[in-house]
Amino acid sequence: MSDYLYKAAAFAQNAAKLSKKVSEGIVENAREFGLEATSSGHYFETSEEKIRDIRRQLDSRHDREKMDGLKRLIAMISKGRNVSEFFPDVVKNVASQNIEIRKLVYIYILRYAEQEPDLALLSINTFQKDLTDQNQLIRAMALRVMSGIRVPVISPIVLLAIKKCMTDLSPYVRKTAATAIPKCYSLDPTQKDSLVEIITTLLNDNSSFTIGSVIMAFNEVCPERLDLIHPHYRKLCRMLVDADEWGQIVIMGLLLRYARTQFLNPNPESPRSDTQKKKKAFYSDEDSDNSQEFYDSSYILDPDHELLLRSCSSLLQSRNSGVVLSVVKIYYHLAPNAEAYKLGRPLVRLLRTHREIQHVVLANIATMATQRPYLFEQHLQQFFVLSTDPSFIRNLKMEIMTLIANENNITLLLRELQEYVKSPDKGFATTAIQAIGRCAIEMPDMADSCLNGLMKLLWSRNDSVVAESVVVIKRLLQLRPQDNADLIIQLIKSMEQINVPRARASILWLVGQYSENLVKIAPDVLRKAAKTFPNEADIVKLQTLNLGAKLVSFHPNNPTIKLLFQYILNLARYDLDYDIRDRARLLRGLILLDGNKENSNYGEENLEEKNESKSAILTDNLKKILLGEKEAPIEESPSVGRDRFIIGSMSLVLNHSIPGYEALPDWPSEKPDGSFRDSSQDESYKRSKAAKSLSSDSYEHYSTPVFSAYEKNKTKTDNYNLDSFYDSADSLEGGEKQGLTKASEEDTFEEDSSEGTSEDDDERTGVNNNTKT
Amino acid sequence: MPKYQLVHVYRSGLTFLSPISNEVDPLMVLEFQHRIVDILIEYLGEVSEATIKDNFDVVYQLLEEMMDYGYPLTTEPNALKEMIVPPTIINKVISQVAGVTNVGNYIPNGALSSIPWRKAGVKYTNNEIYFDIVEEIDAIVDSNGAIVSSETHGFIQANCRLSGMPDLTLSFLNPRVLDDCSFHPCVRYNKFENERVLSFVPPDGHFKLMSYRVNLPRNQILPINVKPQIHIGNTGGKFDISITIRNTDGKSVEKVLLVFPLGKSVLNVNATCNLGSYMFDHVAKCIRWDLGKITPKEKTPALSGNFTSSEQTPESGHTITLDFQINMYALSGLKVDSLKIYNEGYKPYKGVRSLTKAGKFQIRT
Repeated sequence: MSDYLYKAAAFAQNAAKLSKKVSEGIVENAREFGLEATSSGHYFETSEEKIRDIRRQLDSRHDREKMDGLKRLIAMISKGRNVSEFFPDVVKNVASQNIEIRKLVYIYILRYAEQEPDLALLSINTFQKDLTDQNQLIRAMALRVMSGIRVPVISPIVLLAIKKCMTDLSPYVRKTAATAIPKCYSLDPTQKDSLVEIITTLLNDNSSFTIGSVIMAFNEVCPERLDLIHPHYRKLCRMLVDADEWGQIVIMGLLLRYARTQFLNPNPESPRSDTQKKKKAFYSDEDSDNSQEFYDSSYILDPDHELLLRSCSSLLQSRNSGVVLSVVKIYYHLAPNAEAYKLGRPLVRLLRTHREIQHVVLANIATMATQRPYLFEQHLQQFFVLSTDPSFIRNLKMEIMTLIANENNITLLLRELQEYVKSPDKGFATTAIQAIGRCAIEMPDMADSCLNGLMKLLWSRNDSVVAESVVVIKRLLQLRPQDNADLIIQLIKSMEQINVPRARASILWLVGQYSENLVKIAPDVLRKAAKTFPNEADIVKLQTLNLGAKLVSFHPNNPTIKLLFQYILNLARYDLDYDIRDRARLLRGLILLDGNKENSNYGEENLEEKNESKSAILTDNLKKILLGEKEAPIEESPSVGRDRFIIGSMSLVLNHSIPGYEALPDWPSEKPDGSFRDSSQDESYKRSKAAKSLSSDSYEHYSTPVFSAYEKNKTKTDNYNLDSFYDSADSLEGGEKQGLTKASEEDTFEEDSSEGTSEDDDERTGVNNNTKT
Repeated sequence: MPKYQLVHVYRSGLTFLSPISNEVDPLMVLEFQHRIVDILIEYLGEVSEATIKDNFDVVYQLLEEMMDYGYPLTTEPNALKEMIVPPTIINKVISQVAGVTNVGNYIPNGALSSIPWRKAGVKYTNNEIYFDIVEEIDAIVDSNGAIVSSETHGFIQANCRLSGMPDLTLSFLNPRVLDDCSFHPCVRYNKFENERVLSFVPPDGHFKLMSYRVNLPRNQILPINVKPQIHIGNTGGKFDISITIRNTDGKSVEKVLLVFPLGKSVLNVNATCNLGSYMFDHVAKCIRWDLGKITPKEKTPALSGNFTSSEQTPESGHTITLDFQINMYALSGLKVDSLKIYNEGYKPYKGVRSLTKAGKFQIRT
């Protein structure tokens, strides 16, 4: 019968599965049908027939058919299917006139060249031909694909191609040549010397468009050749603003390493005195005065060193968080301490971006705050936790807040943390309590108010809040054994409401450890604990045993306590948990030796005799054994250890070193010769820039009839001046002068406020209040 | 030791993942990933599994252009559009209906612009440029209505439809309210530092010109104030939430939506409101009060009622979030003074509008 039932159940299950499958299939089909008309979804079909069709399509004479076939192939690549069998058919199309087809062919070739090196070579000729194409895009693309083919045999050809392209007129092609260098290097490391030569030449390039890629290549191929940078150092500093965002990040990474080896430490004091100065800055009211003081006393910067700092500083306003953090890295590791105050604001600004970026930025802020909390003190409110913050952001924010806490902001911070404790999210509430504890440890002066705050939490309705606060209070009381009696008494009073084992255990431990201050109360606590002993959790039982032992050792002649302890020991003897049984046995042996002699319930007289001398020693030292000074556990912030990494590095975020991480070189003790940096490079760059650009930090290659005229005026002074701009524009366009000034008057926007109020009801103007000119 | 680190961002329900084998600036990777998503949104309209699948060929080409050997290459939307044609619906429909593809019609002319962020040879019959000043208020308010922290951040979103290579100078009446700015790469930093004007050659199309923090006195009055009163009782509680409008320059506040989360144990809610409508979301356990538009000088909107809970003492301490926007109003009072155009002869049509809205506006209970 049961067998029959079982079969029926299995059958029903199968039927359900089948119907689900069928319905899913229908939905799938319907979707494909629906989409086929307008999308490329159908390329994902992979029936055998379709695959055979691809070969025909690739051989077709119509571009459309070829496109179709190629898209189908790419779709299959994206599905993870191996379609290398089509390589010969695809390679044939590499010389197609149609650029779209070619792009798809390139994608395919880059994917499979490694598997089909011989066939891939067939395409090389086409690429070489393309290198001489008139269109810069085609030249660049040819070089890019060719260098991406991972077949070692062709490395000499790639090298030739790079050499050819690095003198190309188009900066775009030169940039591609620079990016091809690391590829060629990884393909055939023996080419290193010639590649370094190419890099040396490319470093002379004055185009801000290419420089980023050149430095990338430098970092990849010959990061140790800092000597190559000497003549270009000043130029790199000046070009920094104009380079593309990704280039800026890479260049700053290089300049950081360079500066660390070429300049002297701008903060010659040892790190210890540095912290002292920081402390001083806390206490004083006028920070600015202090920083001025540092600055005066500090060492005079090398002009080149200063140049670097100056050229970076405006990039703090970049929209790219990576660039901002790179500047921070430079300032943090290179600038005099007094200069670093600039960093707080821009970093805090980054907290408004995507949460992944927030996480990295917060990790970096936390690291910096362990060393220089003063950078972020005034931004405390920016680290307040929002209810929408995910936990990884929340915890970092909380950590930073405790790191930057000081006398001035602690009340604000504590009030805020108390708010978090109210949160319905238990994990959040407990981390907040831990944070309060950390504050108290960091600032002994504030420990009282922290403790008071924590004590209030004992009446919370939330069990985990109570438990966590007791644990934290215990930790704090351990730090100040002298005057904690009152607080412990309060804890004892609240013990009846506290049900969380960890908290109860903590209180019992405190009572035992500091029982000499609690002569009257401690025995009563033991009495109560004995009453509830059988129903307690294991850790509470263990602590009850400990408490009893400590009290007995403290009042060896008090019969009541002894009896109580014995009662507990007897209960523990039959406990379910062997840890408790063991502990009871140990303590009985340790303390009640003489007691045993009297009762002689168990154990043999002889044995006791022998042990007598030993037990005398034990009894004498009982207090030492049980009540020895216990060191309070140290609360380490999770960011400890992060500061050994460079700011902004991946290793810092992960807090362990990952491959390729190189520690920052130490400052040199002797000043290296700076004359290497005097070169014509900088001058030539300045000249070329002045000739091409229209403002001190502007775009290059910017020449249009209107502009080239007044640019000549500009070359005289590098400082761009609006007035002279107008003057020159006016003098140039004489007749138009009137028009221009007039136009600018007209251009003044009429703001919407006046209109807005008068036409308030008019919905259309309300929404789209564009003022016409 | 793990061989690869995985860096990932989560956006629009998709995770974008990059394996990293070597030390690299993590922000460079994250920022690049976000940029990829931004570009995909610009090309595909929205990013989802379906749109990526439908346009996989474009996505492949874009990735190919944006990255080379692990390094970012071309990431400016203007430059990319010169190389890869965005898949517009019109293109697709034509190719499907008429049976001809658009391929081959378009070969990039190869005249890459010398300014990476602007296309060469842009032409419009109507030259126009619009600026949207958008300011977002982030605030944490405690249950008594006192501001715990508040900051307002703004950004200027531009839509540029100008021909040729215009060089623009935008100046403000009161640049002093701008603090801690960050700029699109097209803005000349030094010029702003020295003269507080924005001088730039704009990219074509939509772009974010700058963002800034509004420099306001720390205890600036917020335009809208929420006062919650919540009493937790046995197996339930009472609440009374009122909203007052202050300091909006007579403008009405629109799209007001208040979300009031309740504990997981809450079973039912009974409430009345004198404006808009409310709904209790049984799954998310929160009250969504949709107020729509509030005009100042109307009577104060209020929502009051009670809830029942399956727990003896329902959990409390949830944070109310508020969403709203105020059209034609900038909290900072930032005003554009003039926009001058150099290097091109035409006079463009110009427009500025402002908008203030809630960023992360949270009220603690």
